[in-house]
Parts: sequence; C-alpha cells; structure tokens
Amino acid sequence: MNTNLQTAWIVFQKEMLDNLRDRRSAVGGIATALFTPALVIFLIIIVGQTLVRDQIETALKLPVVGAEHAPTLVSFLEQRNVIVLPAPSDPEAAVLSGDLALVLIIPPGYTESFAAGEPAVLELMVDSSRQSSLGEVNRARRLIEGYGSFIGTLRLMARGVNPQIINPINLEQVDLATPDTQSLLFLNMLPYFLILILFSGGQHIILDATTGEKERGSLEPLLINPAPRWVLMLAKMAAAIPFTTFLIVIELVAFGAAFSLIPLEDFIGFQLSINLASLWWIFLVCLPMIFLAAAVQMVIATYARGQKEAQTYTTLLPIALALPGLGLAFLPVKPTLQAFLIPTFGQQILMTQLLRSEPVNLGFALVSAGVTLLTAILLTVLAAYLFSRERMIFGTR
Amino acid sequence: MIEVTNLHKNFGKVIALQGVTFSAPDGQITGLLGPNGAGKTTTLRILYTLITPTQGEARIDGFDTRRQKIEAQRCLGALPDSLGLYPRLTARENIRYYGRLHGLSGPALETRIDELVRMLDMQDFEARRTEGFSSGQRVKVAIARAIIHNPKNILFDEPTNGLDVMSTRAMRGFIRRLRDEGHCVLFSSHIMQEVAALCDHIVIISRGQVAAQGSAPELLAATGQTNLEDAFVSAIGSGEGLQA
Repeated sequence: MNTNLQTAWIVFQKEMLDNLRDRRSAVGGIATALFTPALVIFLIIIVGQTLVRDQIETALKLPVVGAEHAPTLVSFLEQRNVIVLPAPSDPEAAVLSGDLALVLIIPPGYTESFAAGEPAVLELMVDSSRQSSLGEVNRARRLIEGYGSFIGTLRLMARGVNPQIINPINLEQVDLATPDTQSLLFLNMLPYFLILILFSGGQHIILDATTGEKERGSLEPLLINPAPRWVLMLAKMAAAIPFTTFLIVIELVAFGAAFSLIPLEDFIGFQLSINLASLWWIFLVCLPMIFLAAAVQMVIATYARGQKEAQTYTTLLPIALALPGLGLAFLPVKPTLQAFLIPTFGQQILMTQLLRSEPVNLGFALVSAGVTLLTAILLTVLAAYLFSRERMIFGTR
Repeated sequence: MIEVTNLHKNFGKVIALQGVTFSAPDGQITGLLGPNGAGKTTTLRILYTLITPTQGEARIDGFDTRRQKIEAQRCLGALPDSLGLYPRLTARENIRYYGRLHGLSGPALETRIDELVRMLDMQDFEARRTEGFSSGQRVKVAIARAIIHNPKNILFDEPTNGLDVMSTRAMRGFIRRLRDEGHCVLFSSHIMQEVAALCDHIVIISRGQVAAQGSAPELLAATGQTNLEDAFVSAIGSGEGLQA
C-alpha cells in the first residue's frame, strides 16, 4: 500500500512524463522566456539611441527662414554648436511630413521690434506630436530663450541696472543620473517579464492536469484509485513547479547573456552591464512566487467550470500582477514595509532594487517571502477544498 | 460483496435517489436496469466513492464508502461513465499508472499487465499512445487499468455503450469470466436483452427507487408476466427510456 508521499510521487512522475511529451506547450513557454530579453535589447537599441544620442552634444541643425533679419541671433546660435541652414521654400510642409524636426522663422518685422526694445516675435515651427523631435526642439528653445535673457541682461546693464534683479531665483538642477542609470529604465522591465513568465509559464500544466482531465473524462476514473484527493491535487500542482522554475532560469540566463555578450556600446555609446550576482538574488526572490503562481492557478482551475473559463482567468492574471512592475520601471517607489506585505509587489520592488544595485533591506525581503509563502499555503488549502467538491467532477457550480 | 442500504442523493433541488436498497453477492452478476436518468450512474458513483450519499450507506466488502473510503477503494475496480485515457501515454503506461497508485510495482506489476493484455487481447496496441484509439480499444485499456489490482468487486457503468457487436460479445464473455472466477460483478444497463442474457440477479431502478429485484424467474413470477421484457415494463410502469 502506498503512503500519501508515495502516491504524490507517482502522480508527480506521471504528470512530468505527460508534460514532457507535450512538446507544443513546452516550446511555447521556452520561446516566451527567450523572446523577452530579445525584446528588451531591441528596445534599448531603438529607444536608447534616440534618448541617449541627444545627451551627447552633436551639432544641432536648425533651418532658419529670414536669417538675414537677425544676424546677431544667428551668430549667437552658431557659437553654440548650431548649424544654421537655409529653410526649404515650404517649411510648414517639411515639418508636417517629418522631413525637418523644426524650423525657426524670423519675420521681417523682427529687426524693427528688436531695435525699438519691444518683444520681437520669433516662430519655432514644430510638430509636438512627433516624440522623436522633442530633444532637438527643447534644445533650440533653450538656446533661443538663452539669447533672449542674454539680450535682456545687456539692456539692463546698459541702463545701469543690476541684471540680478530679474533673477530672484536661480534654480540649479543637479542631475545625478549617469547614462548607465538612465538605461536601467529598460533593464527594469525585467521584473515585469519575470512576473509574466512566473504566472503564465506553468498554467497549461495545471489546467491540463485538472480541468483538462475533467474534460477528457480521465478525472473520474483517477479519483476511484485509493488516494486522498488532496494528495492528487498537491502532486498535480507540484508538477508545474519544475517547468516554471526552468523558464525563470532560462529568462535570467538569457538576460544575463544578452547584456554581457551583445556590444551595446556600438549602438548606444556605452556598455550596459548587468550584475550577475543580482540575477542570482532575483532568482531566490522568485522562488516563493513560483509556489504562489501554482497555487493561484490551482484555485482558478478547480473553481472554473471548464478549461475555457479557467484559461480566461489564468491569461489575465499575469498581466494584472505584472503591471505594477512595469510602473516601477518608470516610477520607482520608496520601499515601505506595507509595500512588501503585498505578494508579488514586494518582490517587484526587491528585483528593481537588486537591478539598480541599491541596498536591500533583508528584513523586508524576508517579510515579503514569508507573506508570499503564507498566501500560497492558504490558496493551496482552498484549492484542496475545491478539488474535493463533487462539483469538481461534474463541472457545475 | 456489495450492500446498498436506503440510499438517498440530492443534487441541489434535483432528487436523484430516494431510498435504494439492494445487495450484490460474490460469484454473481448483478444488473442494474433502468431507463436513462433513473439513478443507475448515481448509485454506481456512490459505490465507487466518487460522490457521497445524502442519506443511507453503501458498503464494499463491509467497508463504508464514505467513512472507510480508501479501504473500500482498495477492494473495488470500476469502469465509470467516462473512460478518458491519457493521450500522450501508451496503453501500457496508462495501465501501469493505476497499478502503481494501487501500490503495485516492479515485476509483479508488469506480469499482471501482461496477463491483462493477453486476457483482453491488447497485444497489438499496448505499446501505442492512446491518442486516436477506437472506442473498443479505449474500453479495453479502461477495463485493464480498473482491475489491475485484481479487485474482488467490479462495477461497470453501461460497459457496452458505443461498442460494436464483436466488442459487445467479447465484453459479455469477459464479464461472465469474472463471475466464474468468483468476483462480485455489478453492472448497469438500459438494454433489456443484455441484462436478461447476463445477469443472475436483476435490480430494476426507476425514478431513484428500486421497482423490483430478483432472478429472472422471480421477476416473472412477481409481475405475473411470461417474458422478461413485459416483466420489466410492468415493473417500471412504462418502457420509456429502455432499449430492447
């Protein structure tokens, strides 16, 4: 006669064999795990290039209409790394079509207004819906405004007024970001992808072993065998864990490899490195969530009437849980104890901190793991109850 | 030995069984005959521990199917209503899985599988994955895995459903053979001929109650009819839902 542990082992082995032969699902999971690092590298190369290139001072090409009306302004700009170009005959069309990012228009009335000491009007023709030109537009605007205050200062001095008087505040922005930390933005998408994989990787295994068995009519005969139902349920749940763990390892290794091997420097001007020790810690942070994911999926699978219904929930789940992580990539929150009490959210903060090589509060990390494990255990108990209901077999509520 | 006492079962507001009592002795074939929806499957499901009765009790070799579930499960084998196999496993692997769940292993298990493969004539497909099996092949695998532990009590829920003539004949032969080996065989059917041809003891179920029971001659005497078909119809009150 089998002990419960022996029974669980037999069921676990059978589910593993069954899943290993399910090539299509396995390949799908692995492809997802490999696809995400590729996507991040792609984003870094494409977006990183436009963001980072602006920081490196290249000459700003500025087409100007009516440059002859403001020679002082033109030479001011030219001294500040701007190449003033003649504008095309139809500047509006050129900006609208995206051929030019911006065109400066100096109207004929400029000289008179300027000479009279009245505000002289300049037009900067831009298409603000075009994100890619934002950097150039801001730079041109800053330069022209700089010219304005330069002239203003000169005029005050000419009248014997201290120009400081019109600068009651001097705001200095101290930008601590290095190009390295700026590009961490993309690296910070890793927690988002990890959560996605954690909560979707093993779902087909759990659904196949529960609602799938019910729909294929193999659950009823299975339950006639001498074994407590909760033991069967636990073994089926456990069968999802090796596969999810495997996918997480693939994801982390692929991430580490992509950032170490691909010469990003050639594309964005500097090398983005990923700390391999961080990846190892991130893996440890993931472990309680692997258990949690299996438990949540089991509750869904035992509660839902059928495979279709269960799939609807299990597909939405990873996206819902991963969204806070995506938010964290762009808006890092200050870690508080409350944040770590939320399973998956606490871990996403931890992973972000590890990626940024920030100090991690070990106490918070343990609280986060503990709360996650406790939640997973409670959900497992709930799943055991749901799995033992007669409704599990008949598929009605 | 199977004993059923005053079995009641409700599914929400639906009353499936209202006081079913009968027993099935060893070395005999007991047939549960009744129209579709009469409560045959529900009775069998309670017996093979899948569901619990609202009231009353069912015993397999004296073990209560609710309070001594695991013990009861060890002495019964059942071919349930659904015969799902694992399509990615071979026939042999499907059978082996159930054998292991019953605590069998190693050469003893393989020998027992070989025995069943011969007995059920499964040599041609035992090593194939069960995806795409015919219904006859599926039933054979399902029977083999159900009786892998050589249980004393064997329950069949409409075992000839969907089988062709040859497979049906083979199935009936197999059921008789189990009886002759001393097993307690309980099977359900809505086919009068099948029950008449096979059973030593007949329990007629209608609307969740036992309408009549006994051997074929006893049923004829009780209903005052000269052939079994009329006796069944007379016991149930109508022939609706039955098949000649």
